[in-house]
Amino acid sequence: MSRSILLLAVSIFCTSTVRADVDYETDIKPLFEEKCAACHGVLKQEAGLRLDAGSLVRQGGDQGSVLEVDDPASSVLIERVTTTDLGQRMPPDGEGTPLTDAQVQLVMNWIRQGATSPVDEVIIASPAQHWAYQPPVKPSLPSGDSLAGSQNPIDSLLRAKWDAMELVPTPIADPLTLLRRIHLDVTGLPPTLADQNRFLSDASSESWNAIVVGLLDDPAYGEKWARHWMDVWRYSDWDGYKQEVRGSQRHIWHWRDWIVESLNSDKGYDQMAREMLAADEIAPDDMDGLRATGFLVRNYHTSNRDIWLDATVEHTAKAFFGMTIACARCHDHKYDPIAQRDYYAMRAIFEPHRVRTERLPGEANLQLRGLPRAYDADLDVATYLYRRGNEKDQDKEHPIAPGVPDIISVAFDVEPIALTNQAAHPFLRDYIEAEEIARAESELAAAKQRLEKASDPRNAQARQSVVVAEFRLKSLELRWAATKAKIEGRSTASQLAIDAAGTERSSKYQAALLDVLQKRASLEEAKTSTESDEAKKKALVQTREKELAGAERTLVDSSVETLTTDDHFSPLGESYPNTSSGRRLAFAQWITHRDNPLTARVAVNHIWLRYFGEPLVENVFDFGLRSRRPLHHDLLDWLAVELMENDWSMKHLHRLILTSHAYRQSTSSDGISAADRLKNETIDPDNKWLWRGNVRRLDAEIVRDSVLAIGGSLDRTMGGEDIDFVEGETTPRRSLYFRHAYEKQMPMLVIFDAANPTDCYRRSESIIPQQALALANSPLSRDQSRQLAKRLSDEAVDDADFIELAFRTALGRPVRPDESSACMSFLGGQPKLLESLDSLELIDGTAKTLVPASEDPAQRARESLIHVLLNHNDFVTLR
Amino acid sequence: MNHSVDRARTSQISDRNRRGFLQDLGLGFGSVALASLLQRDQIASADFTVIAPRAKNVIWLFMIGGASHLETFDPKPALNQFAGKTIDETPHGNVLKSPFLENERVVAFDPNNGFIRNEIYPTQVEFRPRGQSGIEMSDWFPHLGTCADDMCVIRSMWTEDSNHGAQLQFHTGRHRVDGFFPTIGSWATYGLGSLNDNLPQFVVLGTPVADCCGGMECHRANYLGPQFDGVPLDIDSETPLPYAAPPVGVYREEQSGEFELLRQLNQMTAQQFPNDESLRARVRSYELAFRMQTAVPGVVRVEDETQATHRMYGLDQPETKTFGRQMLTARRLVEQGVRFVQVYHGSNGGAGQWDSHAGLKDSHSKLCRQTDQPIAALLQDLKQRGLLAETLVVWATEFGRTPGAQSSNGRDHHPYGFSVWMAGGGIRGGITHGATDELGFHAVENRHYVTDIHATVLHQLGLDPRKLAVEGRRRLEKDFGQVIREILA
Repeated sequence: MSRSILLLAVSIFCTSTVRADVDYETDIKPLFEEKCAACHGVLKQEAGLRLDAGSLVRQGGDQGSVLEVDDPASSVLIERVTTTDLGQRMPPDGEGTPLTDAQVQLVMNWIRQGATSPVDEVIIASPAQHWAYQPPVKPSLPSGDSLAGSQNPIDSLLRAKWDAMELVPTPIADPLTLLRRIHLDVTGLPPTLADQNRFLSDASSESWNAIVVGLLDDPAYGEKWARHWMDVWRYSDWDGYKQEVRGSQRHIWHWRDWIVESLNSDKGYDQMAREMLAADEIAPDDMDGLRATGFLVRNYHTSNRDIWLDATVEHTAKAFFGMTIACARCHDHKYDPIAQRDYYAMRAIFEPHRVRTERLPGEANLQLRGLPRAYDADLDVATYLYRRGNEKDQDKEHPIAPGVPDIISVAFDVEPIALTNQAAHPFLRDYIEAEEIARAESELAAAKQRLEKASDPRNAQARQSVVVAEFRLKSLELRWAATKAKIEGRSTASQLAIDAAGTERSSKYQAALLDVLQKRASLEEAKTSTESDEAKKKALVQTREKELAGAERTLVDSSVETLTTDDHFSPLGESYPNTSSGRRLAFAQWITHRDNPLTARVAVNHIWLRYFGEPLVENVFDFGLRSRRPLHHDLLDWLAVELMENDWSMKHLHRLILTSHAYRQSTSSDGISAADRLKNETIDPDNKWLWRGNVRRLDAEIVRDSVLAIGGSLDRTMGGEDIDFVEGETTPRRSLYFRHAYEKQMPMLVIFDAANPTDCYRRSESIIPQQALALANSPLSRDQSRQLAKRLSDEAVDDADFIELAFRTALGRPVRPDESSACMSFLGGQPKLLESLDSLELIDGTAKTLVPASEDPAQRARESLIHVLLNHNDFVTLR
Repeated sequence: MNHSVDRARTSQISDRNRRGFLQDLGLGFGSVALASLLQRDQIASADFTVIAPRAKNVIWLFMIGGASHLETFDPKPALNQFAGKTIDETPHGNVLKSPFLENERVVAFDPNNGFIRNEIYPTQVEFRPRGQSGIEMSDWFPHLGTCADDMCVIRSMWTEDSNHGAQLQFHTGRHRVDGFFPTIGSWATYGLGSLNDNLPQFVVLGTPVADCCGGMECHRANYLGPQFDGVPLDIDSETPLPYAAPPVGVYREEQSGEFELLRQLNQMTAQQFPNDESLRARVRSYELAFRMQTAVPGVVRVEDETQATHRMYGLDQPETKTFGRQMLTARRLVEQGVRFVQVYHGSNGGAGQWDSHAGLKDSHSKLCRQTDQPIAALLQDLKQRGLLAETLVVWATEFGRTPGAQSSNGRDHHPYGFSVWMAGGGIRGGITHGATDELGFHAVENRHYVTDIHATVLHQLGLDPRKLAVEGRRRLEKDFGQVIREILA
């Protein structure tokens, strides 16, 4: 440890780009990893040379040493990276960009200094030894009292490192800072004044624990955390050109609601993963469960199956087990032990599946309502390897069986799954028959009513309409009876089928007859029309004659049809295979198997990232060989095992984190002595050892939701159809309910780094002027400021009181004296300005507010004050 | 993924740091603004090799729908000679066996469009040599013809998509089905940063590409982050920039008071947290936003220009008024230091007006009339102000049109060979570069994929496209393109 302290200290004081002192860990190792490790590492050792550890570089390759300490420039290593001979230069042309002069200089300096590296540098002999491929094991917790008496294992593990590093952690943050932090982190909504007062009156550990439990029980927890997982699982509403769906599917919001509900009911993470990948195989008739397969449905791509399946493979692997398998689509993975075959074996898991939309009660039109879901459509479809990833060059000689990379030694056993009748014939759901019959009945009733109202009771058309409706109803009933009898294998099936077929033919004949009657009438109408233009009239008559002739032909055909006696009638709906391949379920079980070393670690890392602002494993979707053993490997493993041991309960993990000292630490180092602060900053300026909290910016959705919540306007209705994103400023629902897809994104959210719908494993936190403009100028923040100002003015006794309440409500913290006096003078001066509006310059705005500004200058100034607080740095910041 | 220039960073405490910060706050921010500061960080961290720049700004004109190279910048007398014959009946039937045909990637099959048309359709307009250089251009560009000596016409472009996803492909270098990637404008601004902190650095004018064909992704930055997205300015509106003005009924003095209080309060917080760099950046972003509010309406206010200028750009004629105003605004924007101005022409909410499957003569002559005088005025105006040398103007479209006829009087999509041109910004004027075959079918000489244009633009801006990369985001060889060195002055 003392060595790293020294190195860190050195790196602080040397800031020029090319330094005399070179640090192997920060300067050389990453460079070799990027430029050389693919061919000179654990996976491949071209020329017998490995460059992935300092001692191995010194050791050299088949040709001997590659370093000359006395004359670095003549080192083979330097010669090979600097030569202008493209046949010799490393990295080879096309395999990577050459080293820059500065990088070459760094390597030379390192060689000159003796090419030193830490003696304890981990060298693995085979890829299987990579840390992430080892099963996580709970480290034994350091004995002794943990920090502040905390028994929380997170603190025990961190505490041991702080002690060893001589770091002094910051104390627990003040109650209001903490309360705002936990509310926004867990529910995405700010604490109310009442919440604050309650905690201020009792900020004990017991009280904190109660808050933790209460917030995790709040349904808003599911909404807030659903959005995080929607990022990772690539949630996208349907996208398309006009009405044509090109990506994802209509009504995929059902999946979003399933995520929210599953989180709120604390469904195990493993179970969620299994249902998302294979709910149709686990419980084929469970419509609620089928929503989960939105995870697969989301990858739907209208024009190209390869793109569809590539996305499915790539993102399933990244999201659930941190593997960048997509790199192996065209060639063996350069850095990880994944063969090109492995890529296609994983593709084969998904090859049979397609998406379809189930009809839901109450609406037959699937454009308006329905449940998109995945299912196996074609069990015999083969998967072939695309040579060099080229879909035009498939290796058809060797079909590839479904499989998983060998590096994870967990069994993958595929068993085909027999489905229920209802899954294979979805139209068998009771409500569908009932609704269809009811519709036919109401058509019959309507026809009868028309006949009663007809002026002439002998009106042939009206009478025939009734006959047609009667036949239709009868035909429908018989088709249903026959279909069910057949599926259930009843002995009456064949006779029912003959009856159904016969009635359907009669029904068609009656309908054709009606059509002839109608066409005759319209021809008559044309002939007797008062149209003065003879040519037009003639043309119309000709058209109608043609139509009548067509109808008469159909009538003749259908009457001939009635003479047949076969049992063919039109199906009631689409039928699908009655077996599913079982591949996806096997895969889901492989992913969530207790011995899969990756899954729980990846999940824990995602949750940790959202609480601490930095993940434990830097690249959240790549735990492969390029992912270095994390600094807090012990903590990661402890949490991963803890998650699995507790039935993958995420709420359990949340509770552990939220009750830790680490989560509650102050972000500011004001609470520790100046000497300790300096030491901390020197040893660990980047806070990698978590001796303090990290300041974070609120996510886009939370910014918008907080404005609405503070203004008292937030509509807490949960779930349901996606709302048009253009209503973002006017419909006060939570942000996750608005449509979010390619070309369909709320501008305010985009400005604050909303998830890219195609890929967002981790959000960025930009700071751009458009964010300032959005908060300063949107009608939304203006409206909510006015509303809150009115509410607080009803409570406040005077300006000072108003200011205090305003800070507490908007920023979740008390006002400081200097702030209060600045605000007092604002509330003193601004009304004077506003007294004579006529003398002021009106800005040419066009957007409309819903809440008018107050007529009273003093109140209007208060509105301005609130508006300022919504634009305050601390409003979008978590301390 | 790890890229975020401005993710809250913390730094070690030093007295100098603290003092500098407080000074910043006390002094306001003068010329130092957020975007460019972040940019400078960026350049330092990404280690772009900066070649001596020849251009400072880019005006990128994009004709939506696929302008016919055969009626604009690539004269093909053979089309008139063989009019009515099938391609096989001409001596050039081998174009239908060319390996170049395999470059086409069809993914969304369209039963109506995107086919090779076999019956040769004659050119619908005369060509004549222009300027001293004698570059041939069609008679639909009488004004632009006078600028020939400043233009470099590239007649050997090719792309992959035979449908209008090629609009996206022209801006990202990737086929529509590969997904979305940073666009040329975002790379340029990512690499360079801003010259004027009061204006967005990447501005979009005209109605953007429709969602059929890439939509806003044709000017977005994707993984580079929203700070590098092209910012559409609606120059005919009172509020050209989204959220650039408060809602109805807010007074200038009232808002100034609010901003002043905000500044004071943030300053107090900054004193409490002197190491919070994101707070510092946010305070600056408000300064910048406040200035943008007035700078943006100011820069689009072409009423400030003389009547002569208005006439020059065609603002006095109904046909040229809209595009003329955009061209004039483009000049004003680069004059004010906006790095990249992307102007769309020909939006119709779908594939684009230039998409002339039928009635090509009528539509192209009209569209050329809308753009000819305004573009010529832009080049002349830039030149007379001494700005052309440092402003690179690019005229482009997603693909050309078939030598064969479609629906008797139109042409189909043609990705195998088409024309673009460049002017100013260190590009040699008065030359043509590359060529298509006799029929204008395949680019056969000095063939260029769309990213060669990107590479050339970036090179003129002083950037090495290969250095423009973000950790964790792999770029393919074809993404980088090759600088077209033959056309550099």
